[in-house]
Amino acid sequence: MIETHSLRNKILLNIGIVLLIIGGVFPILWLFLTSLKLDGELTRLPITYLPDAPTLRNYVSVFQDNPFGRFLLNSIIVSLSSTLLCVLFSALAGYALARLKIPGSRAILIGIVMTSMFPALVLLVPLYRLFIGVEIPILSIFVNYLEQLGFGNWPTEVTTPGLLNTYAALIIPYVALSIPISTLTLTSFFQLIPEDLESAAMVDGSSRIGALFRIVAPLSAPGIVTAGIIVFVNSWNEFLLAFTFNTAMNMRTVPVGIVLYQGEFSFDWSIISSALILGIVPVVILIIFFQQRIISGLTAGGVKG
Amino acid sequence: MTPSPVPIKHQRPSFWQRLRTGNLSETQLGILLLLPALLTLAVVMLYPVFSVLWQSVHGEHLLRPQEGSPFVGFKHFEKLLWGRDMVWDLKNLWGWRLLGVLGIVYIWFLALKGNLKKRIALLSSIALFLIALVWMGFHPGEEGRWADPRFWNAFQITIFLLGSSVVGSFLVGLPLALLANVQSPIKWLGRVALLLPWAMPRAFTGLTFAWLFQSDYGVINDIFRRIGLNNLFHAILNPAIIGDNGIFWLAREMPAIIAVTLTIIWKTSSFVALILLAGLQSIDKSLYEAATVDGASAWQRFWRVTLPLLRPSIAVALIFRTLTAIQTFDEPYAMTKGGPGRTLETLGMYIYNTNNASNIGYAAALSVLLFVISLTITIFYLRWIYSND
Repeated sequence: MIETHSLRNKILLNIGIVLLIIGGVFPILWLFLTSLKLDGELTRLPITYLPDAPTLRNYVSVFQDNPFGRFLLNSIIVSLSSTLLCVLFSALAGYALARLKIPGSRAILIGIVMTSMFPALVLLVPLYRLFIGVEIPILSIFVNYLEQLGFGNWPTEVTTPGLLNTYAALIIPYVALSIPISTLTLTSFFQLIPEDLESAAMVDGSSRIGALFRIVAPLSAPGIVTAGIIVFVNSWNEFLLAFTFNTAMNMRTVPVGIVLYQGEFSFDWSIISSALILGIVPVVILIIFFQQRIISGLTAGGVKG
Repeated sequence: MTPSPVPIKHQRPSFWQRLRTGNLSETQLGILLLLPALLTLAVVMLYPVFSVLWQSVHGEHLLRPQEGSPFVGFKHFEKLLWGRDMVWDLKNLWGWRLLGVLGIVYIWFLALKGNLKKRIALLSSIALFLIALVWMGFHPGEEGRWADPRFWNAFQITIFLLGSSVVGSFLVGLPLALLANVQSPIKWLGRVALLLPWAMPRAFTGLTFAWLFQSDYGVINDIFRRIGLNNLFHAILNPAIIGDNGIFWLAREMPAIIAVTLTIIWKTSSFVALILLAGLQSIDKSLYEAATVDGASAWQRFWRVTLPLLRPSIAVALIFRTLTAIQTFDEPYAMTKGGPGRTLETLGMYIYNTNNASNIGYAAALSVLLFVISLTITIFYLRWIYSND
């Protein structure tokens, strides 16, 4: 830590922090100011910094004239379902890894964490192909056999369901992509809960799973919240896969919707910036309320290596 | 003679019975609890690896469904990296190039086996030399070009963005972490400001900065105009990249690369800072006190205490930054759609575009290449970390 005893240093450091705040906030602040201006003001030189007549008309227009509400709904459905599933799966896995005597549990944890290094870009082509629908050879053969035996009239090949432009096409990869970090976060939280509490519950007659839900789950609520927020933010922000799998107008998520909108119709920056502001509001609220938790969760991976 | 009574079998209850009664052994329960997570990972990560490998040696094209997926061997890779008509004998240049590649692989192998510290310098100098050759336009191939110039351009752009943004995010992120670690009444606001760029969707960051860098009404050119830098730029810059109102940030190649790099640095330096901040907070304060007693200046304390103890955090941040930088897609796409022209097309964008053009086989081959690159980097970093433990 830098020495903060002398007054001069203190002032210099605080100036530095103010600069940091400006650097982090300015682009978003500028976006917000833009969203309050009408389009005529945006294409005028010299440009104005504060809006002449602040207006919320752009925000109304975002919902009334454009399908932004639908994008928002899609994003909320996809992010919330991936968060719930991912936290559920990783809570179960984390509990098993932290508490139960499984041969090689440390290796399993390392293996799960390692998958976070897997480049999501490599998923694009195979998952796209899978979501179009690929043939399942064994089932096709079986079905053809049934047909030969005279049981019904079957298609010649059985394929996986086409998932492009469905919520599942995004939820499945998002859950998998966030399992590593949330499993790591939750495992370390479970390890912090004293084992005696759980044994006491089991002596009192609840089963292992009962103890998990009645004792461990409430105590690990902070960990679950942390993991949930990180998964939510990851899913809310994901762009490339959503951009590939869900491009139908009514299935786009917020980032995809706005980027495609900006390309397809040459849109006013005032509208785009209002849409962008609305798109980051949920995440900003989470940050302001849970900043300490997010930092601790994000850096769990960093500290453990 | 009485028939012997049928021995009462103490049959162990079946797996499902024990599951119902909650009477499983710990290992069984553990595996059961691990199953959902592991299955999801298997479906979403293991299956695609095999699928993409299979597809990269098959020629599936969705617009030509009647052809199916014929086996084409390494045709895609040859098209990517070499020519279509390769003659693999030593009289031909390709033979020598193959030898060269094998030599580099052998040096790599030595480096991975032996003492890393000396070898890293050797390796990085070789890598730099190769990059320099490539940068000078000395490309292998019949006309000084690889067979697929579009791939080669994408590769160069990706490597450039990777290098500049990783270095940049550390140069910005380390001071940010040090600042965020200082006791101050506005500390929490500083943390929010650190978290904001981290939490912005990357595509949003691209759009936001596209607006900031807009050449006529963007605030960056406006600031340049106000402080008089614009006149200086007019004097020293190529007139093709600057207009009356300022630099054409996104419409010309060089300014666009700079703008995209700065955007990525803004977005990622906060992630670096957060990881380093955790490292800083885990450093024992008494070490600083001891150093102060020994008469070390603040500068010395930073170099002798902080930086060495930060090494694990730096390694983690470096790994994740590099691995995400190879996949750069969102920011350049949102800012310029890979333009002007295709000059800013990254590897990620090339894969996306090829896949979108229904050429599944070729896109798969590109993905395999990208996967190999990032796997190599991962293995290299991991060995580096574990050899230092």
